[in-house]
Amino acid sequence: MSGPDQRETEARLGNLMWIGVAATAALALAGGIAFYYASQLRTTAEGETVRVAVTAAACEPNALTVPAGKHVFEIANRSERPVEWEILDGVMVIEERENIAPGFSQTLSADLAPGTYEITCGLLSNPRGTLTVTPSKTQTARAEAPALKAFIGPLSEYKVFLALQGGKLVASAGALEAAIAAGDREAARTRYQETRRLYKTLEPLARRFADLQSTIDPLADYLGQREEDPGFTGFHRIEYGLWGKNDTNGLTPFAQKLTADLATLKGRLREVKLQPGMMVASADSLTRQIAEARLVKGEDHYAQTDLADAEASLEGIGKIVDLLSPVIVASAPEVATALTAALDKARARLADLKDDAGFPRYAEVDAEGRQRLADAFTGLADALDQLEAATRVG
Amino acid sequence: MLKHLMAASALTLVLAGPALAAKEVTLDLVEPIADYKIFVAEKTGELVADTQAFVDAIKSGDLDKAKTLYAPTRMHYEAIEPIAELFSDLDASMDARADDYEKREADPDFTGFHRIEYGLWDKGSTEGLEPFADKLLADVTELNKRITDLVFPPDTVVGGAAALMEEVAATKISGEEDRYSHTDLWDFKANSDGSQKIFELVRPLIAETDPAFVEKVESNFNDVDVTLAKYESGDGYELYDKLTDQDRTLLAARVNTLAEDLSTLPGKLGLD
Repeated sequence: MSGPDQRETEARLGNLMWIGVAATAALALAGGIAFYYASQLRTTAEGETVRVAVTAAACEPNALTVPAGKHVFEIANRSERPVEWEILDGVMVIEERENIAPGFSQTLSADLAPGTYEITCGLLSNPRGTLTVTPSKTQTARAEAPALKAFIGPLSEYKVFLALQGGKLVASAGALEAAIAAGDREAARTRYQETRRLYKTLEPLARRFADLQSTIDPLADYLGQREEDPGFTGFHRIEYGLWGKNDTNGLTPFAQKLTADLATLKGRLREVKLQPGMMVASADSLTRQIAEARLVKGEDHYAQTDLADAEASLEGIGKIVDLLSPVIVASAPEVATALTAALDKARARLADLKDDAGFPRYAEVDAEGRQRLADAFTGLADALDQLEAATRVG
Repeated sequence: MLKHLMAASALTLVLAGPALAAKEVTLDLVEPIADYKIFVAEKTGELVADTQAFVDAIKSGDLDKAKTLYAPTRMHYEAIEPIAELFSDLDASMDARADDYEKREADPDFTGFHRIEYGLWDKGSTEGLEPFADKLLADVTELNKRITDLVFPPDTVVGGAAALMEEVAATKISGEEDRYSHTDLWDFKANSDGSQKIFELVRPLIAETDPAFVEKVESNFNDVDVTLAKYESGDGYELYDKLTDQDRTLLAARVNTLAEDLSTLPGKLGLD
């Protein structure tokens, strides 16, 4: 496709481009000098400007050491080709400056935590250099409390989790409804457990919506006429039909209502404004409720699947812990460590009860076994109390 | 050189204008960042599916089909580049140019989209491309997995709006990127749409405080869209050499202004 005419055009364009370069060089130089002084001024408080040259074969110097904090790097391209310069943490790019023209310099600013990084040096086939960041006073002083900005990523990720999990939940409820309508009890039981699992992973936030909670997850125990009460709807009503009565008969209206309620819940989770403190408090109060009420008495009276519920709830709580721990690890490392340990312990105690066939019916777990599990959840709730204090923004 | 110009003019603004009160970052950014991740996840899903079809065409030796699928498949990658580029190993093996290697096209490490593009157009054959096709599919699959696990950094997302337009200025306006296939306008459109997506997601946060800025950016995006629309052909775009000098000049001007304006977004949102 590339004929001589076109090559000529390309060559002309190329020339024009370099005339452009020459014309802007003076401007760029002026700007560059001003920029240089500006960056000097801006960085004296936190660090010095670090100068690196990229030659045809390597970086000069090829090994850099700087104290933790903010730094300006000035990268001069002393090779014949346009280059990019990157700071890498493993395979992840921390900062980069692309398209540095031959003979030109560009600056890049980076806020670096202590550790060992790699730097790229021109051609991908060139060896990489190293950047060692040592601990500094600035870094230590800054780590008294997390900055609000540090929560944006984790909270966004939780929002994505709520959206994706909410979508799966509504789809699963639709499949449950269809299995019930088809009168397929076994399929309905499978769909029920999957829908229940998804709901439980969302429970830290889902249970904050009291109106929905009262139709999605009420227990017969708290209703005047128990199973016969008109207010007995939602998950446990369907569980009562599928396991208590071994039948799908008459469940369709309840399944339809559940799907509709879960769709409303999905919308609310999409709209909810997240705050770090609110997320932790939600996880904390759910953990304590599981420890002090659910694991003692059991909730799934007909299916006896309380351990599966606890596992799914723990997954939802763990999601919050896993997202927020990295934010506080610098300012409150002992809280992060305690949380990980408490979460691992609760997971391990649940796993102890599981065998190849899955979890036993909850009726088969004796009081001692229940207490042992509940203690692990209490330990996790205590660690979450500390997380609540540690997530207060500095 | 564009960046130098921009750095220079940005500095002029800083020196000339009155110091603006630093804006504080707020949790209002949570929703745009979450929505952006969902957008990127969808694009990555499409990238995996389309790469599968592209790879199938190469491996069955269907040259015409492979050439037809090259540009639309790349668009998904180009649209999410601020995130995709975070993974240096995958970015190198999927999207590096021959110039990035000592032996250029002959370098054994030259792989990915542009290596396949070189084979399909310059060599005019699917022969010998199977290993590159398999590697590309493995890479997009790995990219999809890593993006799923990634907590999106707000600076990268918001800074991505300008980064994408800088990418257009540096590699698409010049026709450098797709030098064998000349399908640069597809990449151009994908970069621009990716940038516009980020801008649209954060727009509600600045619409009331900065209406003139919002209007200017929207108007420039509109000019880019209208100009690119002139080159629509079938499901995609004309080859890069069909772009007239007049339109190239107009696009370059709008793209540079967009890159410069959008580079102020992080500051407006308290992310500096």
